[in-house]
Amino acid sequence: MNETLSSLSTFHLTGHWPGRDLAAIEQMGLRPALFSAYRDVEGLRHDFPLVLVNGEDKETVFRSLSDLIDDILQEIAPLGIEGEQIRKHVLGLEKEIRTLVYRGNKGTLLQLWEIAKTNRLSRTDDAGREPLDDNLNRAQAALGVDGELIGCDGEAPIKVLTHTWASFQENKARRFAREIEELTVKLSNILKADTMKSEKALGAEALKQSVGSVYEDAFDFEAMSDILGSAFVNGAVPEKRRRRIRAALAALQSQRFFETDGEETKKSRRKGVHGFVFDRPSRALEAFKERLPEMVKLVKAMTIAQLEIEGRYNEKTHDPFFRRFDERFLEPNDLGRFPSYLICLRNGVGAKTEKAMLPEVLSSGLPMKILVQHDDILEEPSIASGRVSPGIPGSQLATMAVSLNNAYVLQSSGSALYQMRDSILGGFKNGQPALFSIFSGLAGASPGPARNTTETPAYLRAAAAHESRAFPAFVFDPDRGDDWASRFSVADNPQAGTEWPVHSFCYEDEDLQKISEDLAFTFVDFAAADGRYGGNFADVPRSEWQDAMVPVDTFLKLDASAAAEKVPYILMIDENNTLHKAIVDVRLVDAAHRCRKMWRNLQELGGIDNSHARKLLAREKEIWEQEKAQELDALRSRPVSAPATPAPGQPAPVPEEAVADEAVSATVEPAPAETEQEGMPPAVSSDEPYIETPRCTTCDECTQINNRMFAYDDNKQAYIADQGAGTYRQLVEAAESCQVAIIHPGKPKNPEEPDLDELVARAEAFE
Amino acid sequence: MDKPLTECALKLLDEEYTLDDYKGLVPRWCTGCGDNAILAAVQRLCRDEQLPPEKTVFVSGIGCSSRFPHYMHTYGFHGLHGRAMPVAEGIKMRRPDLNVFVITGDGDCCSIGTAHWIHAIRYNMNITVLMHDNGIYGLTKNQASPTSPLGITSRTTPGGTYLEPINPVSVSLGIRNVSFVAQAVDWIPEMLHDIIAEAFHHKGFSFVRILQRCPEFLDHRFDDWVQEPDWMLLLHHENGVRISPDLAKIYRNQEQHDPSDRNRAREIASTNHPMPVGVLYRDPGMPCYEDLRKPDRLYTPDIVKAAIEEEFDKFTIHPTGHPTG
Ligand SMILES: Cc1ncc(C[n+]2csc(CCOP(=O)(O)OP(=O)(O)O)c2C)c(N)n1
Ligand code: SF4
Ligand code: SF4
Ligand SMILES: [Mg+2]
Repeated sequence: MNETLSSLSTFHLTGHWPGRDLAAIEQMGLRPALFSAYRDVEGLRHDFPLVLVNGEDKETVFRSLSDLIDDILQEIAPLGIEGEQIRKHVLGLEKEIRTLVYRGNKGTLLQLWEIAKTNRLSRTDDAGREPLDDNLNRAQAALGVDGELIGCDGEAPIKVLTHTWASFQENKARRFAREIEELTVKLSNILKADTMKSEKALGAEALKQSVGSVYEDAFDFEAMSDILGSAFVNGAVPEKRRRRIRAALAALQSQRFFETDGEETKKSRRKGVHGFVFDRPSRALEAFKERLPEMVKLVKAMTIAQLEIEGRYNEKTHDPFFRRFDERFLEPNDLGRFPSYLICLRNGVGAKTEKAMLPEVLSSGLPMKILVQHDDILEEPSIASGRVSPGIPGSQLATMAVSLNNAYVLQSSGSALYQMRDSILGGFKNGQPALFSIFSGLAGASPGPARNTTETPAYLRAAAAHESRAFPAFVFDPDRGDDWASRFSVADNPQAGTEWPVHSFCYEDEDLQKISEDLAFTFVDFAAADGRYGGNFADVPRSEWQDAMVPVDTFLKLDASAAAEKVPYILMIDENNTLHKAIVDVRLVDAAHRCRKMWRNLQELGGIDNSHARKLLAREKEIWEQEKAQELDALRSRPVSAPATPAPGQPAPVPEEAVADEAVSATVEPAPAETEQEGMPPAVSSDEPYIETPRCTTCDECTQINNRMFAYDDNKQAYIADQGAGTYRQLVEAAESCQVAIIHPGKPKNPEEPDLDELVARAEAFE
Repeated sequence: MDKPLTECALKLLDEEYTLDDYKGLVPRWCTGCGDNAILAAVQRLCRDEQLPPEKTVFVSGIGCSSRFPHYMHTYGFHGLHGRAMPVAEGIKMRRPDLNVFVITGDGDCCSIGTAHWIHAIRYNMNITVLMHDNGIYGLTKNQASPTSPLGITSRTTPGGTYLEPINPVSVSLGIRNVSFVAQAVDWIPEMLHDIIAEAFHHKGFSFVRILQRCPEFLDHRFDDWVQEPDWMLLLHHENGVRISPDLAKIYRNQEQHDPSDRNRAREIASTNHPMPVGVLYRDPGMPCYEDLRKPDRLYTPDIVKAAIEEEFDKFTIHPTGHPTG
């Protein structure tokens, strides 16, 4: 081993380079090489900013600005050169809006649109102003949505999730309010109708009042009252029912779960509506328990109201039922109509006791939607935390939640929120508990002067966590089938089938030749962008580069003895875009190992390169190969004159009739002629009379002849109810008048009946 | 809107409707009339589906067949000749919770009621329509109808009819928004029942033409098909009606027909030799008018009262000498 190599090895193992004072890589402005394309995130067209769409449309709770703009251009810009100008103008505006958002401007899409437009116009010369103004106005007219515009900053996850929750809540509230309103109106109608039929309402005085004073002379209210009074003889609502209806009405009108503003319900005075957003799981649980009796009362009232409205409340059955009614009777469907609880936790989970509550809440089956926003996912090594190399504790929360098997779980990076939109919405669709574990991309709260000096934007950091498998995206939906393949997905990760995503990276070498290389983006690259880990890297001057230096992803694949000969590095670039190789110390490499393992686990759960499947496949293949080898051996050892047998793998020739038969049975199945009588109802001897009842058309012919002999069954189809109730002649006549010819008279029972010979002859047609 | 708890509270009542619960007056149809078979099939459907009689309504026009609502112990509306559909539409619009059936005849539907029929298909409201096609005006005692076969003599066509009949199934299939078309015959009760059940379960306007025998005025019209099973073509499909093994032995002429295939449905419908029986076409995705026009506010008694007052005011005559309102 040469001297340099041994220094490199020493650094790798100890973090010290003997005899050299290392400059921290972040102070040299080094960034992972693959970051070179993202120097100016603001200028890149990407998912952010997002529009948190106002209004009801549940399909598009939030949208990416660039998507919206694409839709508009599709609509208003003609294809080809004709549409070039408007495309340029509108895309320019999009860029302006993105810049505004990234520079910290806040507002709705329309507000920022206006500002961006003014900016653009002010930078345009007189000639260009009018067409620009024109085009932007056309685009604005096609916009159709508005809502708060957000960039990918530390607030994005909380804002997106809260907005999504609120928009589901609004829809629910609207439906619920309408239901309550409808029940209230219909219940009140029962009481109103009752009042209108009461003696008081039909009295002369009340009638006079309802007509008003203008025409009172024209009517004789006493006479009117007499006539109307005699029209309603019965029908006053019994007092007990009236009380029940009033109680249900009161419960409906005093509910505090949703805002209602309907005509009828707003008359009631209302205490404040419950809140459903919490910052601690314990509080949310407490609130839920506290409100449970109210929920039970409301569900009970709604059910009673429904029964009353349909006129199907039966006191004998329903009184005891509702007396026993309590929370055990609430079904998930009932719970699902009530608001879900949103719990937002930031920076991990905070207090230990609250952390301990998460499994309880998530396995409770209650409608609790928990957002855990992680602002820092890299934990510094410390003996206290039981680690000698950095870990990613945040990513364990979601995997733990998956193992509870009861909650919807989504893990994602803030940068992927839009990509994961459908899955985010999925977590709110029903009343089950859900955990959203999201990395914002902010640097952590950990102190230290070196922290974040190269100011990586949150979007880039979040994307790097996503890309490097440090914080992979996955979704677990326990309601979606019973196997992992249907419930668990890692499909939202870049190049989900590989260990690390690989990108091609182009640069010029010393001879200005273009070189293209495939680079993996690993956990180590992610850590390299974090100022706190600068000390785990050492920049190796170009003159000292060694063949024994290998890229980290290659290094990770080596066994221990091979690894001992090598030193891992990553490619980095400085501010002048010069390429560097930075070697990595063993602690980060260990962390990368763990990260890779965790990702492998997720991949397997997600059905990618599943080890069980792989083993099974290998075994099956082996067995198959053995079998085929034996068959081949058998063939080879056979005398050559033997009749031709199909080669292995080829189907044996099938006799032609068999093929035809198969084709027939695949479409229709007419039974072979000889079995025709089989299964015909009923299988009796032809001496007994019978009717093929299922074919009876209820035409009344036979029942008209003798309705004791012929009767209808439960399906109103005829059968012979009592042969003794009539004559053989009637049987034969019925058979003759039955238009579908399903009456079979059999043989006469009574040999004394007149004209038997003739009748038997006539009956033959119906054998 | 699901009401799980209400359902479970209702189940407690342990009510079970039997066929008798749906029987109204004793039918006054002629002995041998195919209407009887249709009535029996419908009563079976109501029993099997346990339709609450108070939530079920039969609307008809005028004709022998249109006497149907009297024979059901449910709500009913025996209306004006040819006008069953608009009445049913009105009911469905305001009471989407009801099971609405229309009973109509070939005269009622394809003659005087044609305009309503065409537009009802277009509206595609969730209504089940049973068109009793006996090829004649029965109630008024023997006048030719638009579906009467060419050449038959009747009181209005003593020299025989001059025109080919229209095919109500083909007409329905040609109309935009059509969502369910089937054909049944009164003399295969099992298929009749199953087809009506399919129609009932379809959400949308389900039109079932039922070939119905009228022994009184057009006897023997369908004899060939009744007596010769091979003249029938039974359509089956996993998304349509399935044919029982017993039936399959009698009716060997069968075709697997996918009800989403409208073009094939048109071809099949275009002939009556063999006579197709089964579900010809179904499009479950077609929107219903009552959903498209669902009011977004609730009509409270006050709103209804105000609307009525407003209408009345248009016709109010004020006594002289009194101030006008
Ligand atoms: C407006 C009006 N025109 C004519 C009639 C006379 N009318 C009563 S029933 C009927 C025809 C019924 O035929 P169809 O609908 O086929 O019923 P069917 O009796 O055959 O079941 C006619 C023309 C009527 N009742 N009202
Ligand atoms: S005559 Fe035949 S079809 Fe008519 S009721 Fe009797 S058995 Fe049924
Ligand atoms: S006249 Fe014809 S349609 Fe009318 S009841 Fe008699 S058989 Fe039935
Ligand atoms: Mg008719």
